[in-house]
Amino acid sequence: MTDSLAPILRVEDIDVRLGGQLILREVSFTVAAHTTLAVIGASGCGKTTLLRTIAGLIVAERGRVLLGSENVDSLAPNRRGIVYLNQEPLLFPHLNLFENVAFGLRLRRVVDAEIRERVEKIISQLELDGLELRHPQALSGGQRQRVAFGRALAVDPVLLLLDEPFSNLDADTRTSMQDLFKRLALERGTTALFVTHDLKESLRVGDSFAMIRAGRVHTYKDLHTFCVDPANGVDREAAFWQFFAKGARELPLSDGSGT
Amino acid sequence: MIRRALAWTMSSLLVLPLVMLVLLSLARHWTWPALLPTQLQARQWQDLIADSSTLGPVVLRSLGMGIGVAMLATALGFVSSRSVARHPRQGQLLVLLHLPFAVSPVVLGVSLLYTFLRLHLAGHIAGVMLAHLVFAYAYAVILLSGFWNPQVQSLVELGISLGARRRQVWLQVLMPLARPLLLVCLFQTFLISWFDYALTLLIGDSQVATLTVTLYQYFSSGDIRLAATCALLLLAPPLLALGINHRLLSATVATRLEAHSD
Repeated sequence: MTDSLAPILRVEDIDVRLGGQLILREVSFTVAAHTTLAVIGASGCGKTTLLRTIAGLIVAERGRVLLGSENVDSLAPNRRGIVYLNQEPLLFPHLNLFENVAFGLRLRRVVDAEIRERVEKIISQLELDGLELRHPQALSGGQRQRVAFGRALAVDPVLLLLDEPFSNLDADTRTSMQDLFKRLALERGTTALFVTHDLKESLRVGDSFAMIRAGRVHTYKDLHTFCVDPANGVDREAAFWQFFAKGARELPLSDGSGT
Repeated sequence: MIRRALAWTMSSLLVLPLVMLVLLSLARHWTWPALLPTQLQARQWQDLIADSSTLGPVVLRSLGMGIGVAMLATALGFVSSRSVARHPRQGQLLVLLHLPFAVSPVVLGVSLLYTFLRLHLAGHIAGVMLAHLVFAYAYAVILLSGFWNPQVQSLVELGISLGARRRQVWLQVLMPLARPLLLVCLFQTFLISWFDYALTLLIGDSQVATLTVTLYQYFSSGDIRLAATCALLLLAPPLLALGINHRLLSATVATRLEAHSD
């Protein structure tokens, strides 16, 4: 059993340049085993680049990525044990729901009986029973994202990277997906890095918190320090709801400063 | 009403030449101004069957060449199209690939003949197939380069992230995704080789007899009825392939519709 306090992921002093532009600079942080680090940041701040670098899909200009104690910079993306869950619920259109979930297991040549057992369990946990033979085109957005999530969990990844996975879902489905993620991550002891631009989502799914701004990552030691930092917008969110709670009917226009 | 009339006209334009061929292949007496043959016979077919010792190898050779060219062009085209689609000068490369179609096959054939003579490929099946491949390969790359869109790239990255090695990415992600397009490509490149006349005659140096070349020989000998019978034989494999292609594509659509209606 992995020590729950020992970091599974250690990112050290990473710089990433894309198209001549420095997207990430001096990024360092850790993610403890069996926990979820929620990384919040606005659109275009480098969240996806960070995840793709850790997954090995982008090569960093400087710094290193360690999984456990192993430097994985020289490892091909398919050998890192890291699964990257895209913003779009990407499913293989030629495979039905069952085969989509089983995809990673078939790549690993797991025996059929074990595949059936593991996939059926995950399908049940994701409340997708009865839909096993459906193709992606016949699934709703929420169902597709659950399948994508289940497919990622099926291979028991060392680290799960989630790139705003629920951002395209309606509010109710998003909330239920966040709860489902949290429940399954706890049950399975998953280590995850969850990036989002939604403050409430980060609070709902995260065990620890970080903010990415202009390519730099700032980590918080606990929930309290995260909430009291004016940079991440918790105070603005609170002020917004308090304004209406006091009986106001109209929202004054923002001064455009972003503060 | 107009739409129906147009549909009838279009269908007739497609079907009438085929009907004409069938009638010609069975006609004994068909003289002006009779709309249909006044007497029918099966002699043309009997002659063709009687000539099977000559025609049989010709049909087999044409089929073998067509299938070989189609498989090579599709396989090479699929791999090359990926590089073309990712190349910073993709547009210029695609223009270059259109060049074989911009010039007449005869012009290309003459320039290829000089090289092929020096390489001792002229007059051989391999040389003719290579010449067909120039067109078929260019066609395959142009057709398949449209496959490599961002969605496919994302699915490839997903496969890699889930643990797929290079070979598994090709066999378990790319090939199934590209299957309908690959089938179309196989069919079209087969037709390029199957129906080619000018290149086969030039590069084959009259040594490589295909069914298309034989059909022209019947035609130029003045036996229009035997030529029509041979033309029907020439049309059989493409029509069969078209039927199979249509059935496979219909099955794919039906599966998807069925999935939607669940």
